[in-house]
Amino acid sequence: MDTKSLITEAKARFNHNSAKAYLKDKYDSKLIVASQDGLWRADQQTISFLNSMTDDNYVIMIDTFNNTVQVNREQLLEVLKTTYNTVMHEWYKEWTELEKNR
Amino acid sequence: MSKGALLFAFNSPKYNYYEMAVATAKRINHFLDLPVTVVTDVSSIPDITDYVFDNTITITPDKNNRRDWGIWINKGRYQAFELSPYSETLLLDTDYMVNSTKLLTTFELPTDFCCHDTTSFLMHPGVPQEMLSVYSFNTLWATVVNFKRTKRSEQIFDCLKLIQNNFEHYANIHGFISSTFRNDYALTLATRIANGHIMPIEDIIPWNLVHVGKNTSIYRNNDTIFNTEYTVMFDNWQRGKIRKEYNTIKDTDFHVMNKENFMELIA
Repeated sequence: MDTKSLITEAKARFNHNSAKAYLKDKYDSKLIVASQDGLWRADQQTISFLNSMTDDNYVIMIDTFNNTVQVNREQLLEVLKTTYNTVMHEWYKEWTELEKNR
Repeated sequence: MSKGALLFAFNSPKYNYYEMAVATAKRINHFLDLPVTVVTDVSSIPDITDYVFDNTITITPDKNNRRDWGIWINKGRYQAFELSPYSETLLLDTDYMVNSTKLLTTFELPTDFCCHDTTSFLMHPGVPQEMLSVYSFNTLWATVVNFKRTKRSEQIFDCLKLIQNNFEHYANIHGFISSTFRNDYALTLATRIANGHIMPIEDIIPWNLVHVGKNTSIYRNNDTIFNTEYTVMFDNWQRGKIRKEYNTIKDTDFHVMNKENFMELIA
Protein backbone atom coordinates (compact mmCIF):
# COMPACT_ATOMS: atom_id res chain seq x y z
CA MET A 1 0.00 0.00 0.00
CA ASP A 2 1.38 3.44 -0.88
CA THR A 3 1.47 6.13 1.77
CA LYS A 4 -1.34 8.20 0.20
CA SER A 5 -3.72 5.25 0.40
CA LEU A 6 -2.51 4.56 3.91
CA ILE A 7 -3.41 8.08 5.03
CA THR A 8 -6.84 7.87 3.39
CA GLU A 9 -7.64 4.42 4.76
CA ALA A 10 -6.56 5.39 8.26
CA LYS A 11 -8.48 8.70 8.06
CA ALA A 12 -5.36 10.35 9.41
CA ARG A 13 -5.16 14.08 9.76
CA PHE A 14 -2.08 16.16 9.06
CA ASN A 15 -0.57 17.49 12.29
CA HIS A 16 0.61 21.04 11.63
CA ASN A 17 2.08 21.60 15.06
CA SER A 18 4.38 18.62 14.85
CA ALA A 19 5.26 19.53 11.25
CA LYS A 20 6.25 22.99 12.42
CA ALA A 21 8.30 21.59 15.31
CA TYR A 22 9.96 19.07 13.00
CA LEU A 23 10.98 21.77 10.51
CA LYS A 24 12.37 24.00 13.25
CA ASP A 25 14.41 21.12 14.61
CA LYS A 26 15.65 20.16 11.15
CA TYR A 27 16.63 23.62 9.94
CA ASP A 28 17.93 24.98 13.24
CA SER A 29 20.59 22.30 13.12
CA LYS A 30 21.51 23.24 9.56
CA LEU A 31 22.30 26.79 10.72
CA ILE A 32 25.28 25.48 12.70
CA VAL A 33 28.60 26.14 11.00
CA ALA A 34 32.16 25.17 12.01
CA SER A 35 34.53 27.87 10.81
CA GLN A 36 37.80 29.50 11.92
CA ASP A 37 38.22 27.12 14.88
CA GLY A 38 34.82 27.95 16.34
CA LEU A 39 31.25 26.70 16.07
CA TRP A 40 28.67 29.30 15.03
CA ARG A 41 24.96 29.71 14.46
CA ALA A 42 24.11 31.50 11.26
CA ASP A 43 21.33 33.45 12.96
CA GLN A 44 20.10 37.02 12.65
CA GLN A 45 21.85 38.18 15.81
CA THR A 46 25.32 36.90 14.86
CA ILE A 47 25.04 38.20 11.30
CA SER A 48 23.90 41.61 12.54
CA PHE A 49 26.77 41.77 15.01
CA LEU A 50 29.34 40.91 12.35
CA ASN A 51 27.78 43.48 10.03
CA SER A 52 28.02 46.20 12.65
CA MET A 53 31.69 45.69 13.62
CA THR A 54 33.07 47.48 10.61
CA ASP A 55 35.97 49.26 12.39
CA ASP A 56 38.14 46.19 12.65
CA ASN A 57 38.34 43.16 10.40
CA TYR A 58 39.50 40.91 13.27
CA VAL A 59 36.85 40.51 15.95
CA ILE A 60 36.81 38.41 19.10
CA MET A 61 33.54 36.51 19.50
CA ILE A 62 32.06 33.88 21.80
CA ASP A 63 31.12 30.76 19.86
CA THR A 64 28.36 28.26 20.70
CA PHE A 65 30.78 26.37 22.97
CA ASN A 66 31.34 29.60 24.98
CA ASN A 67 34.94 29.83 23.77
CA THR A 68 36.43 33.18 22.77
CA VAL A 69 37.65 33.01 19.20
CA GLN A 70 39.37 35.68 17.11
CA VAL A 71 37.84 35.64 13.66
CA ASN A 72 38.27 37.31 10.32
CA ARG A 73 35.01 39.26 10.34
CA GLU A 74 34.39 39.46 6.60
CA GLN A 75 35.14 35.80 6.00
CA LEU A 76 32.86 34.61 8.79
CA LEU A 77 30.13 37.03 7.76
CA GLU A 78 30.23 35.69 4.22
CA VAL A 79 30.02 32.06 5.41
CA LEU A 80 27.15 32.79 7.81
CA LYS A 81 25.19 34.87 5.32
CA THR A 82 25.47 32.16 2.67
CA THR A 83 24.40 29.48 5.15
CA TYR A 84 21.53 31.60 6.46
CA ASN A 85 20.16 32.34 3.00
CA THR A 86 20.43 28.74 1.79
CA VAL A 87 18.87 27.21 4.90
CA MET A 88 16.07 29.77 5.24
CA HIS A 89 15.11 29.36 1.58
CA GLU A 90 14.91 25.58 2.01
CA TRP A 91 12.95 25.99 5.25
CA TYR A 92 10.48 28.41 3.65
CA LYS A 93 10.04 26.16 0.62
CA GLU A 94 9.34 23.06 2.70
CA TRP A 95 7.01 24.96 5.03
CA THR A 96 5.06 26.32 2.06
CA GLU A 97 4.68 22.78 0.70
CA LEU A 98 3.45 21.49 4.05
CA GLU A 99 1.01 24.39 4.41
CA LYS A 100 -0.77 23.10 1.30
CA ASN A 101 -1.95 20.19 3.45
CA ARG A 102 -4.08 22.57 5.50
CA MET B 1 43.78 10.83 8.36
CA SER B 2 41.35 8.03 7.56
CA LYS B 3 37.65 8.45 8.21
CA GLY B 4 35.08 5.70 8.39
CA ALA B 5 32.01 4.32 10.08
CA LEU B 6 31.83 1.43 12.52
CA LEU B 7 28.77 -0.74 13.17
CA PHE B 8 28.25 -3.49 15.75
CA ALA B 9 25.85 -6.18 14.54
CA PHE B 10 25.11 -9.46 16.29
CA ASN B 11 22.01 -11.39 15.29
CA SER B 12 19.68 -12.25 18.13
CA PRO B 13 17.01 -14.97 17.97
CA LYS B 14 14.48 -12.25 17.15
CA TYR B 15 16.27 -9.71 14.95
CA ASN B 16 18.73 -9.88 12.07
CA TYR B 17 21.14 -7.11 12.99
CA TYR B 18 23.58 -8.06 10.25
CA GLU B 19 20.92 -7.35 7.63
CA MET B 20 20.23 -4.02 9.32
CA ALA B 21 23.97 -3.24 9.27
CA VAL B 22 24.18 -3.98 5.54
CA ALA B 23 21.29 -1.61 4.79
CA THR B 24 22.76 1.10 7.02
CA ALA B 25 26.22 0.63 5.51
CA LYS B 26 24.84 1.11 1.99
CA ARG B 27 23.24 4.37 3.07
CA ILE B 28 26.45 5.52 4.80
CA ASN B 29 28.39 4.81 1.58
CA HIS B 30 25.80 6.66 -0.49
CA PHE B 31 25.12 9.74 1.63
CA LEU B 32 28.37 10.17 3.57
CA ASP B 33 30.80 8.56 1.13
CA LEU B 34 32.54 6.77 4.01
CA PRO B 35 33.83 3.19 4.22
CA VAL B 36 32.09 0.99 6.78
CA THR B 37 33.57 -1.64 9.08
CA VAL B 38 31.29 -4.12 10.78
CA VAL B 39 32.02 -5.84 14.09
CA THR B 40 30.05 -9.07 14.22
CA ASP B 41 30.26 -12.75 15.08
CA VAL B 42 30.74 -15.67 12.72
CA SER B 43 27.21 -16.97 13.16
CA SER B 44 25.66 -13.62 12.10
CA ILE B 45 27.38 -13.51 8.70
CA PRO B 46 25.11 -14.99 6.03
CA ASP B 47 26.42 -17.51 3.49
CA ILE B 48 25.42 -15.29 0.59
CA THR B 49 25.52 -11.52 0.70
CA ASP B 50 25.48 -8.82 -1.98
CA TYR B 51 27.47 -6.32 0.08
CA VAL B 52 31.15 -6.24 1.02
CA PHE B 53 32.14 -4.17 4.04
CA ASP B 54 35.41 -2.26 4.10
CA ASN B 55 36.39 -4.60 6.96
CA THR B 56 34.58 -7.38 8.73
CA ILE B 57 35.86 -7.98 12.25
CA THR B 58 34.60 -11.07 14.04
CA ILE B 59 34.59 -11.32 17.81
CA THR B 60 32.86 -13.46 20.38
CA PRO B 61 30.03 -11.33 21.78
CA ASP B 62 28.85 -11.23 25.36
CA LYS B 63 25.26 -12.52 25.13
CA ASN B 64 24.52 -11.93 28.77
CA ASN B 65 21.91 -9.17 28.43
CA ARG B 66 18.15 -9.27 28.11
CA ARG B 67 15.27 -6.98 27.27
CA ASP B 68 11.56 -7.59 27.51
CA TRP B 69 11.59 -9.10 24.00
CA GLY B 70 14.57 -11.43 24.51
CA ILE B 71 18.37 -11.54 24.24
CA TRP B 72 19.90 -8.18 23.42
CA ILE B 73 23.55 -8.38 22.35
CA ASN B 74 24.68 -4.83 22.94
CA LYS B 75 27.62 -5.29 25.28
CA GLY B 76 31.21 -4.75 24.22
CA ARG B 77 30.75 -1.38 22.55
CA TYR B 78 33.84 -0.20 24.47
CA GLN B 79 35.90 -2.24 21.98
CA ALA B 80 35.12 0.33 19.28
CA PHE B 81 38.29 2.27 20.09
CA GLU B 82 40.51 -0.80 19.85
CA LEU B 83 38.80 -2.32 16.81
CA SER B 84 38.23 0.70 14.60
CA PRO B 85 40.68 0.79 11.70
CA TYR B 86 40.10 4.52 11.21
CA SER B 87 41.76 7.54 12.79
CA GLU B 88 38.36 9.28 12.88
CA THR B 89 35.40 7.00 13.49
CA LEU B 90 31.66 7.47 13.27
CA LEU B 91 30.15 4.81 15.52
CA LEU B 92 26.48 4.22 14.74
CA ASP B 93 23.67 1.96 15.88
CA THR B 94 22.56 -0.31 13.05
CA ASP B 95 18.98 0.99 13.29
CA TYR B 96 19.98 4.57 12.51
CA MET B 97 18.55 5.62 9.15
CA VAL B 98 20.97 7.88 7.29
CA ASN B 99 19.09 10.17 4.88
CA SER B 100 21.43 13.13 4.53
CA THR B 101 25.03 14.32 4.74
CA LYS B 102 24.43 15.81 8.18
CA LEU B 103 26.67 13.41 10.10
CA LEU B 104 29.69 14.63 8.14
CA THR B 105 29.50 17.78 10.28
CA THR B 106 30.47 15.69 13.33
CA PHE B 107 33.94 15.32 11.79
CA GLU B 108 34.28 19.13 11.67
CA LEU B 109 33.44 19.72 15.34
CA PRO B 110 36.42 21.00 17.34
CA THR B 111 36.56 17.96 19.63
CA ASP B 112 37.96 14.42 19.67
CA PHE B 113 34.79 12.82 21.05
CA CYS B 114 31.14 13.73 20.71
CA CYS B 115 27.68 12.27 21.07
CA HIS B 116 24.06 13.45 21.47
CA ASP B 117 22.62 14.63 24.78
CA THR B 118 19.17 15.67 23.55
CA THR B 119 16.51 13.92 21.53
CA SER B 120 13.34 14.87 19.74
CA PHE B 121 10.54 12.49 18.86
CA LEU B 122 8.87 12.75 15.48
CA MET B 123 5.17 13.69 15.92
CA HIS B 124 5.70 14.07 19.66
CA PRO B 125 7.31 17.46 20.35
CA GLY B 126 8.12 18.41 23.92
CA VAL B 127 8.81 14.94 25.28
CA PRO B 128 11.05 15.37 28.37
CA GLN B 129 14.67 14.33 28.01
CA GLU B 130 15.48 10.93 29.47
CA MET B 131 17.44 10.84 32.73
CA LEU B 132 19.35 8.00 34.34
CA SER B 133 17.04 8.56 37.30
CA VAL B 134 15.34 11.53 38.92
CA TYR B 135 18.43 12.00 41.11
CA SER B 136 20.98 11.65 38.33
CA PHE B 137 22.08 13.02 34.97
CA ASN B 138 20.40 13.54 31.63
CA THR B 139 21.17 10.57 29.42
CA LEU B 140 23.74 10.78 26.66
CA TRP B 141 23.01 8.67 23.60
CA ALA B 142 25.35 6.01 22.22
CA THR B 143 23.37 5.91 18.95
CA VAL B 144 25.79 8.29 17.22
CA VAL B 145 29.34 8.75 18.51
CA ASN B 146 32.21 10.37 16.66
CA PHE B 147 35.71 9.88 18.05
CA LYS B 148 39.28 10.48 17.06
CA ARG B 149 42.16 8.25 18.09
CA THR B 150 43.33 10.30 21.10
CA LYS B 151 44.27 9.51 24.68
CA ARG B 152 41.07 11.13 25.97
CA SER B 153 38.85 9.06 23.67
CA GLU B 154 40.68 5.94 24.78
CA GLN B 155 40.02 6.87 28.41
CA ILE B 156 36.31 7.31 27.72
CA PHE B 157 36.12 3.85 26.14
CA ASP B 158 38.17 2.39 29.03
CA CYS B 159 35.62 3.88 31.43
CA LEU B 160 32.84 2.39 29.31
CA LYS B 161 34.39 -1.03 29.88
CA LEU B 162 34.74 -0.33 33.60
CA ILE B 163 31.07 0.61 33.86
CA GLN B 164 29.88 -2.36 31.82
CA ASN B 165 31.83 -4.68 34.12
CA ASN B 166 30.41 -3.00 37.24
CA PHE B 167 26.99 -1.97 35.94
CA GLU B 168 25.09 -2.98 39.04
CA HIS B 169 27.34 -0.87 41.25
CA TYR B 170 26.79 2.24 39.10
CA ALA B 171 23.07 1.50 38.93
CA ASN B 172 22.94 1.51 42.72
CA ILE B 173 24.77 4.83 42.92
CA HIS B 174 22.67 6.54 40.25
CA GLY B 175 19.35 4.89 41.02
CA PHE B 176 18.54 3.15 37.75
CA ILE B 177 17.59 -0.46 37.05
CA SER B 178 20.59 -2.66 36.32
CA SER B 179 18.83 -5.75 34.94
CA THR B 180 19.30 -4.55 31.33
CA PHE B 181 22.66 -3.12 30.33
CA ARG B 182 22.32 0.08 28.33
CA ASN B 183 25.18 1.64 26.39
CA ASP B 184 23.48 5.03 26.72
CA TYR B 185 23.71 4.92 30.50
CA ALA B 186 27.27 3.58 30.48
CA LEU B 187 28.33 6.28 28.03
CA THR B 188 26.72 8.99 30.19
CA LEU B 189 28.78 7.93 33.17
CA ALA B 190 31.97 7.12 31.24
CA THR B 191 32.12 10.53 29.57
CA ARG B 192 31.69 12.29 32.89
CA ILE B 193 34.27 10.17 34.72
CA ALA B 194 36.86 10.63 31.95
CA ASN B 195 36.27 14.39 32.03
CA GLY B 196 36.67 14.81 35.79
CA HIS B 197 32.94 14.52 36.56
CA ILE B 198 31.86 17.37 34.36
CA MET B 199 30.25 17.30 30.93
CA PRO B 200 32.19 19.45 28.46
CA ILE B 201 29.84 21.25 26.09
CA GLU B 202 32.24 20.47 23.23
CA ASP B 203 31.42 16.76 23.57
CA ILE B 204 27.79 17.33 22.65
CA ILE B 205 26.62 17.11 19.04
CA PRO B 206 24.86 20.45 18.57
CA TRP B 207 21.53 19.16 17.29
CA ASN B 208 18.91 16.69 18.49
CA LEU B 209 18.94 12.98 17.88
CA VAL B 210 15.64 12.29 16.10
CA HIS B 211 13.76 9.26 17.39
CA VAL B 212 10.82 7.41 15.95
CA GLY B 213 9.23 6.46 19.25
CA LYS B 214 6.27 4.61 20.69
CA ASN B 215 2.91 4.63 18.89
CA THR B 216 4.71 5.98 15.82
CA SER B 217 5.29 4.18 12.53
CA ILE B 218 7.23 5.37 9.55
CA TYR B 219 6.67 4.49 5.89
CA ARG B 220 8.70 5.07 2.74
CA ASN B 221 7.07 7.41 0.25
CA ASN B 222 8.61 5.49 -2.64
CA ASP B 223 10.51 2.26 -3.14
CA THR B 224 13.79 3.62 -4.46
CA ILE B 225 16.78 2.22 -2.58
CA PHE B 226 17.98 5.59 -1.30
CA ASN B 227 14.57 7.13 -0.69
CA THR B 228 14.69 10.11 1.68
CA GLU B 229 10.98 10.95 1.92
CA TYR B 230 8.80 9.33 4.55
CA THR B 231 5.35 9.53 6.06
CA VAL B 232 5.23 9.39 9.86
CA MET B 233 2.01 8.03 11.34
CA PHE B 234 1.18 8.61 14.98
CA ASP B 235 -1.53 7.00 17.10
CA ASN B 236 -2.72 9.84 19.28
CA TRP B 237 -4.70 8.37 22.18
CA GLN B 238 -7.46 10.70 23.37
CA ARG B 239 -10.24 9.71 25.75
CA GLY B 240 -9.73 6.02 25.05
CA LYS B 241 -9.79 6.44 21.26
CA ILE B 242 -6.99 6.55 18.73
CA ARG B 243 -6.83 9.53 16.43
CA LYS B 244 -4.41 8.92 13.57
CA GLU B 245 -2.15 11.84 12.74
CA TYR B 246 0.56 12.09 10.13
CA ASN B 247 3.42 14.22 8.96
CA THR B 248 5.83 14.00 6.06
CA ILE B 249 9.57 14.32 6.43
CA LYS B 250 12.50 14.37 4.03
CA ASP B 251 16.31 14.45 4.11
CA THR B 252 16.22 13.80 7.85
CA ASP B 253 18.25 11.17 9.69
CA PHE B 254 16.34 9.27 12.36
CA HIS B 255 16.72 6.44 14.85
CA VAL B 256 14.00 3.80 14.68
CA MET B 257 13.30 2.23 18.07
CA ASN B 258 10.84 -0.29 16.66
CA LYS B 259 13.04 -2.92 14.98
CA GLU B 260 10.15 -4.44 12.99
CA ASN B 261 9.46 -1.02 11.52
CA PHE B 262 13.14 -0.61 10.63
CA MET B 263 13.14 -3.98 8.85
CA GLU B 264 10.10 -2.87 6.83
CA LEU B 265 11.93 0.28 5.78
CA ILE B 266 14.98 -1.58 4.50
CA ALA B 267 13.05 -4.44 2.88
